[in-house]
Amino acid sequence: MRDVTLKARRVLQPIWFSPVLLPFLNRRVKDRFVGGAFFLITILPFAILLVVIVSLILRTQPILSAHSIGELLTGQKWSPLKGQFGFFPFIAGTFWVTFMALILAVPPCLLSAIYLSEYCRPRISAVAKPLLDLLAGIPSVVYGVWGMVAIVPLVQVFSTHVSKWLGFIPLFSKNNPTGYSILSGGIVLAVMITPFIIAVTCEVLRTVPDGTRLASLALGATKWQTIKYVVLPQTRSGIFAGVVFGASRALGETMAVLMVVGNVAKVPSSIFDPAYPLPALIANNYGEMMSIPLYDAALLGAALVLLIIVLFFNLISTIALRHIIGRSKI
Amino acid sequence: MKNLIRNPKVLLSLFLLAIISVACGGSPTVQETGDLKGSIAVSGAWALYPMMTRWAEEYHNIHPAVEFDISAGGAGKGMADALVGAVDIGMVSRDIRPEEEAKGAYWIAVTKDAVFPTINAQNPVLSDLLEKGVTQETFAKIFITAEITSWGQVVGRSDVTDEIHLYTRSDACGAAETWAKYIGGRQDDLGGIAVFGDPGLLNAVVTDHLGIGYNNLGYAYDMTTGEPVDGAFILPIDQNSNGRADEDELLETKAEAIEMVATGKYPSPPARALNLVTNGKPGGIVRDFIGWVLTDGQEFVGEAGYIQLTNEQLGASLEKLQ
Repeated sequence: MRDVTLKARRVLQPIWFSPVLLPFLNRRVKDRFVGGAFFLITILPFAILLVVIVSLILRTQPILSAHSIGELLTGQKWSPLKGQFGFFPFIAGTFWVTFMALILAVPPCLLSAIYLSEYCRPRISAVAKPLLDLLAGIPSVVYGVWGMVAIVPLVQVFSTHVSKWLGFIPLFSKNNPTGYSILSGGIVLAVMITPFIIAVTCEVLRTVPDGTRLASLALGATKWQTIKYVVLPQTRSGIFAGVVFGASRALGETMAVLMVVGNVAKVPSSIFDPAYPLPALIANNYGEMMSIPLYDAALLGAALVLLIIVLFFNLISTIALRHIIGRSKI
Repeated sequence: MKNLIRNPKVLLSLFLLAIISVACGGSPTVQETGDLKGSIAVSGAWALYPMMTRWAEEYHNIHPAVEFDISAGGAGKGMADALVGAVDIGMVSRDIRPEEEAKGAYWIAVTKDAVFPTINAQNPVLSDLLEKGVTQETFAKIFITAEITSWGQVVGRSDVTDEIHLYTRSDACGAAETWAKYIGGRQDDLGGIAVFGDPGLLNAVVTDHLGIGYNNLGYAYDMTTGEPVDGAFILPIDQNSNGRADEDELLETKAEAIEMVATGKYPSPPARALNLVTNGKPGGIVRDFIGWVLTDGQEFVGEAGYIQLTNEQLGASLEKLQ
């Protein structure tokens, strides 16, 4: 092997150190060049994001020229064959399902994260953390099929009973005889975003210095009092960032949701109503893009709206996270 | 030599070389000896999926060097994939639209099947439905305009007030388009809870005793027994509107259904030819495969539970391959 490298060097060195290349290949130039090269590689993801946004905007142009943005975002009728492209039912459906998932997921996740970082023995958390990562790795379709087979029938029975007692409240009124509803979508999504919220919350709770906890306990506070009055207030923005992170995952989840949520393009008014989130719209209909005029522009417009919503959520989360990291440096 | 192999740079280069050579999959080629090899990617309609897997299996037995990669996702997906070149063949279970042909879709009809309306075996008015059948107009009122909302209204019994639970397909598919065409609309006009995929829709109807939906021939009937899938029944269509489901309108077994479609007694739509779509005229191994499908492959059509096209239609398809 050494002969091979020696022979290679004998051939390459004259080229490397020749009067043509040598002035450009000294150490300073190489140093600057390397820095510049790494910079280009780093901005590559952002450049790709920019390209995606710009190309989506360009491809949406045909429909933007035929209908105004306001009309598209607030229109309630979706009927592409008749030229009606109202995105409002889908935007509403997206938010309903995401908020349902957050309401179902955040309290248990918060309490689990507190348990995992404050109460449990190291051996238990050593097992629990990898297990959570396992949950995060299960494919979306598997959750969808499980939801269809297990959750939807359960929600059907549950909703029949609940609407009998609480049906007078519009939120719990039941107009949908099946279990394909926002509640089913919310449950499946909640299970999917749980590992992420727990992981971020655990990390955030870990940033609280031990000294603060010990000081509180030394003053006579119980463990729970320490957590509630000392630890949690410090980590408020970090927990918020974790929740927003989970929300952005929930916003973009496609396969699992479209299999259980009913896919009816109407603005929902109850948690037992079916809904039609934006990712489901794109996934179900991109096959028709080829044949109906303006349909591809409409679907790419839906993709653009979804992208903007998710970016906005991620922006909030990043700013909040920077807030907490800044504080822990004190 | 040992040192050479243990050298990390050499190992890395060998590893990369291995990955690259595997990643560059073989493109369809016909070798000198006439032995075909390559891989064919297929995606699209749930309707054609069972038939395509059968054909792929048989073709692979004849030409073992040809690999198939088949996935279902609805006719719309098949069309989209074929047009962008993500797959070699798209399975499309409906007529091809002029806009799609303008984008380069080249379609070849290969077999025929039909869409059947399905209801649950525990439907409260099952016996009435099987006795009277349901007319085309009634279906339109159930699925499209929602004028009829209870099972009692369907059979003319005012004492039954159970509501109809309507199901349809969420993915852009041929079955929905064909069924909608029969009752006078498009897939978007069909109301009801939209479920993904043919098996999904069937599952929804089987689990809901007030449910009604529509399924392809291959999914509505059990493959082995030939009866409707456990828990489901096929609604007879009262074609002559005489208020009765006549002998020849009943569809109790798969064999009866196939015969009805083959003889033309079952209306077309919802019976329709199933197409294979390629981007432009197919060549090479894909062309050979489709040619085989239209000739020797037809013997498996009956076994798999589909209907053969007439000789003229097959001839026309073969013409399109030339």
